[in-house]
Amino acid sequence: MTAAVRCQGIVQIYKTRDLEVVALRDVDLAVEEGETVALLGPSGAGKSTLLCLMAGLLRPSAGRLWLHGTEVSRLPQAALDRLRAAEIGVVLQNPARNLIPYATPAQNVAFAQRGRRADRRRIAELLERVGLAGVRRPAGGLSGGEQQRLAVAVALANRPRLLLADEPTSQLDAASGRAVIALPRATAAEHGTTVVAVTHDEAVSRALGRTVTIRDGRVGAEGRRGEELVVVGREGALQLPPEYHHLLPPGSRVRVEPLEDGVALRRAEP
Amino acid sequence: MTGRIAAAAARIALGGGMLLRGLWERRWPSLLVLVVAIVPVASAAAGPIVADAASTALARAGVQEGAAPERRGWRLSSEGGQVAGSARELAASAPFLLPPIDGMELVTPEIRTGRMYPLIWQDGQCEHVEPVAGRCPEAAREIMVSEASGFRLGSAVRLTAVAGADGRPAPLRVVGVYRPGPPGDPFWFGRNLFPQTAGFGDRGDALFTVPATARETRTPENVPWTSTAIVMIDPARFTAGGVAALEAAHALTQRLGPDNLIVVSQVPALIAELRAQSGGVGVPSLVVIAQLVALGWLLLFLTVRDLVTARGPEIALARLRGHGRLRVWRFALTEPLLLLAAAFAAGLAVAERAAQFAAERILPVPQPVALNGTAVLAGAAVPLGGLVAAAIAARNMAVRPITEEWRRTPRTRARGWVIDAIVLAVTGIGLVELLGGGVITQTSGQRASSLAVPGLLAVAAALLACRAVPFLARRLFGPTRRAGGVAAFLALRQIGRGPATAGSVIVLAAAFGMATFSAAAAAVVDANHRRVARAHNGADAVLTVNPDSVGGAAGLAAAVARADPSGRGAAPVLAVPGPPKMIATDPRRFAAVANWDPAWADRPLAELAARLRADSAPRITFTGDRIRLRMRPVRVPRNWRAQLYLDLKVPGEAKGASLPLGSPDRPVTEWPLPRRCRAEPCELRAIRGDVSIVAPGGGTKREVVLRILATGLEVRERGRWRALDAGLTDPARWRGTAEAGKRGLVLSLAAYGGLRAEPAGYPDPVPVLVNGLLTRNYLPGLDQAYLARGHPVAQTAALPGHDEVGTVVDLTVADAVALSVDPRVSFEVWVAPGHLAAVRAGLAAQGIATGEPRRVADLVTSYRTQAPGLALMLLPPATFAAAALALGRAVLALYTAARRRRYELSALDAAGVRARSLRAALLLEQLITLVAGTVAGVLAGAVAARVALPYIPEFARPPVTPPLLFDPPPAPVAAVVGAALLAALLAATVTAEILMRGIRVDRLRQAPA
Repeated sequence: MTAAVRCQGIVQIYKTRDLEVVALRDVDLAVEEGETVALLGPSGAGKSTLLCLMAGLLRPSAGRLWLHGTEVSRLPQAALDRLRAAEIGVVLQNPARNLIPYATPAQNVAFAQRGRRADRRRIAELLERVGLAGVRRPAGGLSGGEQQRLAVAVALANRPRLLLADEPTSQLDAASGRAVIALPRATAAEHGTTVVAVTHDEAVSRALGRTVTIRDGRVGAEGRRGEELVVVGREGALQLPPEYHHLLPPGSRVRVEPLEDGVALRRAEP
Repeated sequence: MTGRIAAAAARIALGGGMLLRGLWERRWPSLLVLVVAIVPVASAAAGPIVADAASTALARAGVQEGAAPERRGWRLSSEGGQVAGSARELAASAPFLLPPIDGMELVTPEIRTGRMYPLIWQDGQCEHVEPVAGRCPEAAREIMVSEASGFRLGSAVRLTAVAGADGRPAPLRVVGVYRPGPPGDPFWFGRNLFPQTAGFGDRGDALFTVPATARETRTPENVPWTSTAIVMIDPARFTAGGVAALEAAHALTQRLGPDNLIVVSQVPALIAELRAQSGGVGVPSLVVIAQLVALGWLLLFLTVRDLVTARGPEIALARLRGHGRLRVWRFALTEPLLLLAAAFAAGLAVAERAAQFAAERILPVPQPVALNGTAVLAGAAVPLGGLVAAAIAARNMAVRPITEEWRRTPRTRARGWVIDAIVLAVTGIGLVELLGGGVITQTSGQRASSLAVPGLLAVAAALLACRAVPFLARRLFGPTRRAGGVAAFLALRQIGRGPATAGSVIVLAAAFGMATFSAAAAAVVDANHRRVARAHNGADAVLTVNPDSVGGAAGLAAAVARADPSGRGAAPVLAVPGPPKMIATDPRRFAAVANWDPAWADRPLAELAARLRADSAPRITFTGDRIRLRMRPVRVPRNWRAQLYLDLKVPGEAKGASLPLGSPDRPVTEWPLPRRCRAEPCELRAIRGDVSIVAPGGGTKREVVLRILATGLEVRERGRWRALDAGLTDPARWRGTAEAGKRGLVLSLAAYGGLRAEPAGYPDPVPVLVNGLLTRNYLPGLDQAYLARGHPVAQTAALPGHDEVGTVVDLTVADAVALSVDPRVSFEVWVAPGHLAAVRAGLAAQGIATGEPRRVADLVTSYRTQAPGLALMLLPPATFAAAALALGRAVLALYTAARRRRYELSALDAAGVRARSLRAALLLEQLITLVAGTVAGVLAGAVAARVALPYIPEFARPPVTPPLLFDPPPAPVAAVVGAALLAALLAATVTAEILMRGIRVDRLRQAPA
């Protein structure tokens, strides 16, 4: 089966006038179709950058990125736009950024639809599902929760195969957060939509099938079904989860002892 | 089908609704774009409309009532042929031509008197004569005759060439008697058909009949009827755009039949004149309009760019949703395009109204105004600037990474020097070309490009200022950080950052540069128009009188003396075309009445005019029927034929009369005087003699000069001879080849050179005032005969009544010099301010009719209507409006820039910076930017005015005199500066106060914008 997203050695460097900031270093990641993935990690770890790369909003500085088998790293802009319109739905971090504030919910969803004709049935269906049917107020006048739900509806307007969401539940209370995350989950379940969400919200990460933790621009750990696994990166590098730092503080020297099914790390000095 | 329609309607509702919501969301920037676009569109479009109306006014002036009929149409005639069809074809060839006036005529002697009479039918003839008795002819062989013809009502008139069936002259029955209407009636196409009534010539007045007379009578084969038709231009329908059609119509007359068609017309002269005028109007207006368009572009560019930039997040959203490029562009451009389209339509409507308003005030005769193609194009050129800005801004939005849209601090890019360098280079080249191009002697179109220099200078100053202000702010930033207050520190830091400052300074400097220049130019041009009009008109009001109604130069002087006994309200003036142009007037009255500027000479006009007076000998005038000269006979050599003449000035004789007295070998020689001398005074102007050598030899080789002693001059009047006071013994009364002595006047007659003795009735040379170097020694004289030389008694920079180099002479002297008065001489009465009504009444009381006075204000108006004047009149309102918009736009940009910093300012507020300091910082920041832009613009405008004004055409035909002045008066410039600074101060204060209200500590809870 073709992966929905495949990252191979992705490096992302932001250049400013005076310095360069490496946001992602040698990220290898595969997200299968229909998977629901939560990207976790501290602020500044590179989660949103990775999401932008998956959305085709940024081009990787190095490495290769495939979306549904199409390598997007060198895809012409027009083709990338078409790909995004056809297959990707994006929910940005700030709900207001996803919406045209003076447009009604229906106009916002219609605006996001592909092609010149608005699919009114789809618009009605989506607004119904996010509880905004019949709302004619401008999006700017909606509450934060309503805006976030509308943002998800907008992202799903084109029945995307890949839904990317950046902090979809930030600034929301728990109930609103659940309502927001329910729709992507339902869509994934019903239509096999792949969902990748950047989040700090444990409720969201629990609701999704897999977690990927990004630390210092690398994929540090993955979790499935409640189990957290450290990922061995390129050149054998691995990142100890913070909860083990008191056993092996940064700067510690360790002995690597081979085992049958792996290695054991032991501190070299007391 | 219904479903499709419903879907389409839904689509439109969704899209259109969002568009309208977007416009409402951005209502203030949208309104600003709308206003900023409407004003330049209206300014640019109004120019061509007014120019077109002015051209039409000029065109109509060329064909209006009073102009020579030959200039207003064509008279077609064919002897024996028919011209009616050709005339109809001609009349149909242009929309402004009136239906033809058909006619026919035959000139033939009347049997009884032998006098030639024109027998005429011209359609509508009876409406152009005054019926005295009877009626108009209606049937064949009926005629209407003039009162002066002497034919009686009911009598029969027989004309040689009009025969009945029996071949004998047919009796034409007089059924009506008429009196001719005004001689200038264009219906007759300039022909004098009534010489009998006027009392001159041998031909009789027209006999009017009907076409049936021609059908029912016979004419000899060699005397056929002449078919005629007159096609006239209708002034009310003729416009400036009709010149091409007029040319085509005239060209058509060359191809019309029949073969012997004769076309009489001066339409080509009219066409040439109109072509020159329309070209003159077009070029300067175009340059001014181009500058207004450029200014509009600058304003629109920045405003529309702001509008599109404000939509950046939405455009990014469209790209985020994967919209195709076309859709993104459409989305980005729909709003500004809609606004620009609305502004275009509204601007054209405003332009039409504004043009109507201007035309009613500028043009001497208000013309209806209408949108024309040039106006639409000029108006359309303005939104193009906005379109370009929208396209550039939209492209920037469309190509930059989407993620950039959400950066907290946008990346800044350094401004390049390429555009600045190009503008500065073009300005430099323009200035060099302007300053090296010589003085103002050009015609309107040739140097109209110099009108572009102020605009270039303003933009160049704007570009320099927009770099200088942030640079200086950065330089001063250090000292304020160390020693200044926090207010100056914050203000200078923000100005030093640059983007809002640069845009505002550019717009302000460019707009105020143009406004200052236009204010200075308008003031200078207006002053020059008034200066020239005062000089060219001569006096406050000038009345033109019919020469026949005053009886010559002396009669005019007498009439004026009676109409204005005070001697200070009116002056008689005879204006002689020249060259050089000559004004003959009463010096004392002239000094009291004429417009005078002390700058024209170092002496008062009264003192200069007094120098024109000169003592002369009494003129030798007389009435009578014969004249004789008494002399001591001389022996005339045998091979000579010597002849003496008396040259007389005779009333009504243009060149006087020369009476041959015969040989000087007789003691008395006499000759009949011309008939006019019996009743009107004639004047002896010279005793002349010449010699013809009839055979070689003569007995002597030395030159022989006959010395003839004239002892008396006598005139016979009513049968009695009387001696004339000719002063033959007074040396002061004669000059030339004669010498007065105790015994009489010795006339020297030589074989080569003859004899010419003149009474010294006028000074020779004639004292004159001149306003420049005369190219010829002889003055034209009232008779245009160039009989006397001029002697300048004073040279001035300008003289009243002169638009070129010319002279002023004493009317008495001029009258003494001239043998007659040339028909081209204009008889005028110059009137001082406040005396017009009294002088007109005084002239009317003497039966002297005067037309409408020619006033200084009329001339000023005509100068304003001419091309360069009109162009410069269009400039100020448009530039003032643009400056106001620029100020508004700059204030808004500064407000927006400061509003983005409310978070930062709130943080400063929370940190303990006093509100007073924050307010001062905001005020200072805005004031420095506004004042810097304004002052840079005003300086650029003032420099442009000083440098460029002497080279900018102000008149369609640059006047030779008086000298023009180009120093801009300080008042208009000061008014612009004062208004600008006051407005800047008010705007900055209000804006700072509004911004201060938005600075609250609780704003820190929100994310920074």
